Amino acid sequence: MLKELRKKAEADFKANGFPSTKEELWRFTDVSRVANAEFSNEWKEASVDFQPLDKIVVVFENGKLSREKSNFGDLPKGVCIGSIMDLVDPRIGSLADAQSAFVSANTAYFTDGAFIEVTDGVEVDTPIHLVYLADADGAAFHMRNFISAGVGSKVTVVEEYIGETEKNYWTNAVTEVFVADRGSVDHYKVQRESAASFHFQTLEAHVGADAVFSNHAVTFGSALGRNDIRGKLTGEGGEAICNGIYLLKDKQHFDTHMFMDHAVPKCNSHEMYKGILDDKARAVFCGRILVQKDAQETDAIQFNGNLLLSRGAKVNTLPQLEIYADDVKCTHGATIGELDDVELYYLQTRGIDPVKGHAMLTFAFANEVLDEVKCKVVKIKIEDLVHAWLEKVSA
Amino acid sequence: MALLEIKDLHASVADKPILKGINLTIKPGEVHALMGPNGSGKSTLSNVLAGNEAYVKTRGQVLFNGVDIDDLAAHERACAGMFLAFQYPVEIAGISNMYFLKAAVNAVRKYQGRDQLDAMDFLDLIEEKKKVVTIRDDLLERAVNSGFSGGEKKRNEIFQMAMLEPKLGILDETDSGLDIDALRVVADGVNALRNEERGFLVITHYQRLLDYIVPDHVHVLVDGQIVKSGGKELALELEDEGYTSWDSE
Ligand SMILES: Nc1ncnc2c1ncn2[C@@H]1O[C@H](COP(=O)(O)OP(=O)(O)OP(=O)(O)O)[C@@H](O)[C@H]1O
Ligand SMILES: [Mg+2]
Repeated sequence: MLKELRKKAEADFKANGFPSTKEELWRFTDVSRVANAEFSNEWKEASVDFQPLDKIVVVFENGKLSREKSNFGDLPKGVCIGSIMDLVDPRIGSLADAQSAFVSANTAYFTDGAFIEVTDGVEVDTPIHLVYLADADGAAFHMRNFISAGVGSKVTVVEEYIGETEKNYWTNAVTEVFVADRGSVDHYKVQRESAASFHFQTLEAHVGADAVFSNHAVTFGSALGRNDIRGKLTGEGGEAICNGIYLLKDKQHFDTHMFMDHAVPKCNSHEMYKGILDDKARAVFCGRILVQKDAQETDAIQFNGNLLLSRGAKVNTLPQLEIYADDVKCTHGATIGELDDVELYYLQTRGIDPVKGHAMLTFAFANEVLDEVKCKVVKIKIEDLVHAWLEKVSA
Repeated sequence: MALLEIKDLHASVADKPILKGINLTIKPGEVHALMGPNGSGKSTLSNVLAGNEAYVKTRGQVLFNGVDIDDLAAHERACAGMFLAFQYPVEIAGISNMYFLKAAVNAVRKYQGRDQLDAMDFLDLIEEKKKVVTIRDDLLERAVNSGFSGGEKKRNEIFQMAMLEPKLGILDETDSGLDIDALRVVADGVNALRNEERGFLVITHYQRLLDYIVPDHVHVLVDGQIVKSGGKELALELEDEGYTSWDSE
């Protein structure tokens, strides 16, 4: 039962506390700043602007659902959207059970989050936009989201985290996703939290037979943050796509930990992550693909590319393959580099000045990832945000 | 006034002197062919002209339309009407050929004080230029030169030249890697662009290209110096005799 799960999670969290850099999974990310901070839970209204992507938008305001700011649109039959506090599903908590202190804390203390259920055979055309607004100094937001797509169903979900500049707070989110056989979940996360905030999220998805789970995580914000993205392919013919971009500057530190578990045969997964770092920013990418003994005919690709715009920026990248089956096609790779002078020269010989050339090449680097974004409104939104970020950096 | 005037040009790459006193004048409307053995400095010359900063001019003067090119950065030379078709065109992932062409055309137009082309006008220009240099639509949609075959890259260079309508076209071995049909397309494109104002410097190893693009002058570059100049028949002589008479080793 969820109640017991939450009790146990609280006990775990109290007993174990936050991870230290001595733990392998936290080697490059020191969370003592989060561990040593005091957080209060006094609620206040948020005055942060946001732009709804489409008709359906669910807004959480400093950690609580705001019915005034939300718009549930005309939901087709068979779609349920609401607060996780009001709706019940025995699967809540079954995926993300205490893998880390952050998940334990979330399970123990979550106060709200989105619940989305699409029943068998239903296709939702409009993207469901989840917006998390934050401007409460010193607050902690434990947001818990649950997404379930039934057999042969289809849904697009966009999580967008927006924070007021320079506010100190901690977002600690967990999203559990179930994609049933032949279902499709196209999931996006746009993180533009306050530059002074902490942002942590664990996303865990189970993907059924012939089902597709696609995830794009785009990170701009937070002083210190991490995405744990965990996919498990549980039915033959399943597919998982986990792509992302992180754009970091100043002294931002952002960590992406990816784990893709091929438990059954004939599945494919691919992950492409690109990072652009300026100033003294620091990125960590750790991607692990596990191909279990029975997972024959697995097709898995993972790539992490990083572009450093400044000498002070730093990246630790560790793509890893762990293969126990013999008939598989798996590749992985990583690069860390600077803009290519030859490419810049080529653009110049065509009349394009170096400032514009720089911007074009930097955008092009990230653009490869955006190529795979299927939802048009989301694509435009992300492109605009990337352009705006690049303009700020080159100014 | 000459289109291009090169006077006693010396240049180095990585502190190594490559060009050792080149004199060459191209007048409007002329086609000059430049031939010479591997490593003699042909691409070095085209890079010095185009403004590649890795190539350092150490002596002499180059005037383009009467302006000293030392006063112009690479993109300004392009905007002023110089075009280099690369021996090894550069692949750029993540930027579509169309987007790249539009940025280039509009950068040049802006420099020249002309108004910017909008999406419709730009597509019209593409269609017009496809009549000069045929190019497959998928090559225009794909990232710049990414995964293009050798021949497709060369064709793309000439298509770009047609789009930008330069005053001087420098073609660095555009013919190598082309099959017979593509060679004809490229040569026809260049010939269509020939007029009284436009000049060309055509770098090649083969007489065959010069059968299609008939030059007014042919020069032989050996070890960083032009050792012989003549009419189009000089290329035929070279085809028979090679460069052995200038062999310094
Ligand atoms: N970036 C560089 N660094 C070092 N040496 C260089 C560089 N570029 C050119 N060179 C050298 O300069 C010399 C002239 O090279 P260049 O490319 O100009 O010859 P080329 O006449 O174009 O030859 P080819 O017919 O093979 O194209 C060669 O010895 C070459 O190795
Ligand atoms: Mg050459």
